[in-house]
Amino acid sequence: MVLDRRKFLIGAGLTGLALNSSFLFANSGSTPDSSPITRNIPGTEEAIPAIGMGTWITFNVGGDPALIEQRTQVLKTFFDQGGTLVDGSPMYGTASDVVGEALDRLGARDRLFAATKIWTSDESATRQEAERSGRRWGVEQFDLLQVHNLRGWQGHLETLKAMKAEGQVRYIGITTSHGRRHREFAQIMEREPIDFVQLTYNVLDREAEDRLLPLAQERGIAVIVNRPFQGGSLFGRYQSEPLPDWAGDAGVSNWAEFFLKYIISHPAVTCAIPATTSVEHMKENMGALYGALPGAQQRQKMADYVRSL
Amino acid sequence: MSGAGWLSYSLEDFIMFGPQVFLRLFVRINQDLWPWPLLAVLAGILVPMLLLSQKSAPRRVALGLASVALVTSGYGFLVGYFGPINWPALWFGWGFVLQGVLLGSFMLFGGAPPSRWLDSKSAGYWLAGLWLAAVLALPWLTVAESGDWKAVGLFGLAPGTTAAAGVLLAGSLPGFWRWLYLAVPFFWSLFSAATFWSLQTWWLLGLPVATLILSFLAFRLSPSWARSRG
Repeated sequence: MVLDRRKFLIGAGLTGLALNSSFLFANSGSTPDSSPITRNIPGTEEAIPAIGMGTWITFNVGGDPALIEQRTQVLKTFFDQGGTLVDGSPMYGTASDVVGEALDRLGARDRLFAATKIWTSDESATRQEAERSGRRWGVEQFDLLQVHNLRGWQGHLETLKAMKAEGQVRYIGITTSHGRRHREFAQIMEREPIDFVQLTYNVLDREAEDRLLPLAQERGIAVIVNRPFQGGSLFGRYQSEPLPDWAGDAGVSNWAEFFLKYIISHPAVTCAIPATTSVEHMKENMGALYGALPGAQQRQKMADYVRSL
Repeated sequence: MSGAGWLSYSLEDFIMFGPQVFLRLFVRINQDLWPWPLLAVLAGILVPMLLLSQKSAPRRVALGLASVALVTSGYGFLVGYFGPINWPALWFGWGFVLQGVLLGSFMLFGGAPPSRWLDSKSAGYWLAGLWLAAVLALPWLTVAESGDWKAVGLFGLAPGTTAAAGVLLAGSLPGFWRWLYLAVPFFWSLFSAATFWSLQTWWLLGLPVATLILSFLAFRLSPSWARSRG
């Protein structure tokens, strides 16, 4: 079966973290090609790589032994290329089980920043949901627990705050996607002591630039960005087009890097989480973790260029 | 969520798996059950021949084979393979099982098996021909989509092929029962059409389309129940 990149790359997320100032104008600074681009989680000394991995659709392969092995190789490539943050959700079918199986095979839990979500309308079931996900991933506790798409967020967030205080999770947050419920999302960011938000942001879907990303910077909230390739459709639309002549100056050598570096060069963004089923595409994605980043003017040129195509 | 909130979702937002994973389900069930899929092919060919028999016992066996096919495709494929990656498939799987139980119950307790395919000889042959076309041609749609012959979607294992052929029996059931019998394949067709559209697996759209066309033809070709003499 021949699948193009659009079918391989389905959905992704960006984790938002505060940018180190040295990366604001990274192309004019010195970023050794061999050093992964990292971002500090605001308010901490902890840095995480700016490219993570999403599992929506791509890791939901059921009990298929061949595909579990193939996804294990995708995860291995992710770790080998310097990635740490893997994001999942109990909503994603068997993806949590497959991630757990792949981590078993790779013995790589010590390299993992484990992020998942609480996805249940029962606001009293937060702890049970987290424990269930922990068993599926094979982790004692998650680094980050997020309320999925604000579902039952009031009850879940109260419990997550208590869990954080008890040391059962290190960071807590909320998520949205596809630009939904941004007004309510912003209100929660303003009022609640959350560490992370996850939202959709890419070179075409830029609504988050107006309110949510500046608010995250102001409030010291890390940002994970999902759907960096707009569910793969960006490749369908632009992959046949040439990169601009000045792409190399922005540290870009292919379209995957173009889309990802546009995102992680935003000063409010901590991490982008593209998803893929292909080892080769994972390598391309992780290429965005190295080299120069576009500066503010180049980011504007990137957005203008895409719009002109 | 508000009504406007739901309107912001598209069909693709509800699909949690990719086309590669879905098409691999057919490969896996064929490999896991080998060589039983050969029996499924044989059963699919036998059903219309048995239904054209002058004797009631072979016709009863035909309905029995069809009911078993519905149960195995529902419990085997939908519950066992598809359900883990797409939870609505679990409900459809149990729906197929109930549909099979319904047909089996009619075979056992509904008196003499219907001879309605014989009441109108030419219609009977048309229905038999349509059945054979369904069980012999539709399995290759998954092959066309995947490029892998091991993904062949056989009658009795693959729900699309089983539903498409199975609806041809609807005209053999009396009024209330035929509508009950058709409910599952009808809603399965809508669900699978939406799924295949979202996955952009265009060849597979032939399965729900065939099911709906064959449902219509089953009613057009089957003589009225009142004229059946069993």
